[in-house]
Amino acid sequence: MDRERSWSALDAADDGIIAGRAMDGDVAAFAVLVRRYTPLMRAYTQRMLNASAEVDDIVQESFVTAWQRLPELDDPAKVKSWLMRIVSNKAVDRLRALRPTADIDEFERPAPAHASPSRVVEARAEVEALGAALRELPDAQRECWVLREIGGYSYDEIAEELGIPVTTARGLLARARKYIIVRMEEWR
Amino acid sequence: MTDDHELHRLGLERADLDGHTIEELADYLDAGRSPADASIDGSAGCQLALDALERLHGLTGRLIAADAAAQGAVDESWVDRVLSGIALDARAGRRIPFASDPDEDLAITEGAVRGLIRGAENALPGVLVGRCRLDGDVTLPGEPIRIGLDASVPYGEPITRLAERLRAEVDDRLRTHTELNVVEIDIMVRDIRAPWSGGHTQGQEGAE
Repeated sequence: MDRERSWSALDAADDGIIAGRAMDGDVAAFAVLVRRYTPLMRAYTQRMLNASAEVDDIVQESFVTAWQRLPELDDPAKVKSWLMRIVSNKAVDRLRALRPTADIDEFERPAPAHASPSRVVEARAEVEALGAALRELPDAQRECWVLREIGGYSYDEIAEELGIPVTTARGLLARARKYIIVRMEEWR
Repeated sequence: MTDDHELHRLGLERADLDGHTIEELADYLDAGRSPADASIDGSAGCQLALDALERLHGLTGRLIAADAAAQGAVDESWVDRVLSGIALDARAGRRIPFASDPDEDLAITEGAVRGLIRGAENALPGVLVGRCRLDGDVTLPGEPIRIGLDASVPYGEPITRLAERLRAEVDDRLRTHTELNVVEIDIMVRDIRAPWSGGHTQGQEGAE
């Protein structure tokens, strides 16, 4: 009874309280963070990798790292963006493992064949059109775009994460933006 | 590039943007269109591109929210899987000896004391203890120790009264179960939970 009450109360408490307890070693509070942020962390990883495989492994690893590093968190109320940074890092690590050397040719690789615009416009809302355009982007452009627009990284941070020059990161982002805007215009 | 034709047609190339680039326009938006640039503000092509960039920015938040919602509820087997991978004893903290123990081989961990402090919430329905700090050298018997803790309280009850009761409960627990020389208990209420936010109102009955 006590346990039930305490769990439901924890579920309603804000991040600062929950993360503060988790920092102090309260596993029940950490479990609340896992429940609260798993969907967002999965979604982010899926967009980053453009695939579902390995997403769960990456999110789990991220939580393990988060538990270890929680005492380093300055402000428990900012645990959400802190978790997103961790999962973003893990996803980039995975990209690097899959593609050890940054190959400039890869950046030039053209996008795959377009999905049929009519199918998209019939069945999907604008948000889904954006999702579809994102899936069509070459890997490097998509990674830059996700880091910038969803992860909130600066250009310098993107360059550092991906191990590419800042000018390259900016160029990739410009092309990603153009491509997405054009595709979305086509689907309107 | 096969895309060049399309990009040109839709007006995102330098020629369509009166000499500007999409990169410059993205920077201009990031800077909040400040300082104002007359050559951008006065260009119809740039304005169209800026509108598209802004709309894209707004859509992104909705995309990731929709993606997260599509993930569905987190099942408990997933939570168990994550928790099975973490080291539960990671937060033992400092070793706090009992001076009354002649052999001095009895001690309590800082983590256990924090658990004791958090347990005070069980006496106060709806109150939650957040992070707590033990300031002072707890490894030396008799040292003055200040306790600092964050709390979350339910909406509707006088905060001063809740805090007073929480302080008394923490003090009582520490005096009963430890030999810490607690000289101060600071409480910072960081969160007031609205009854309509769900969850915490369940099962409160009969708790006192």
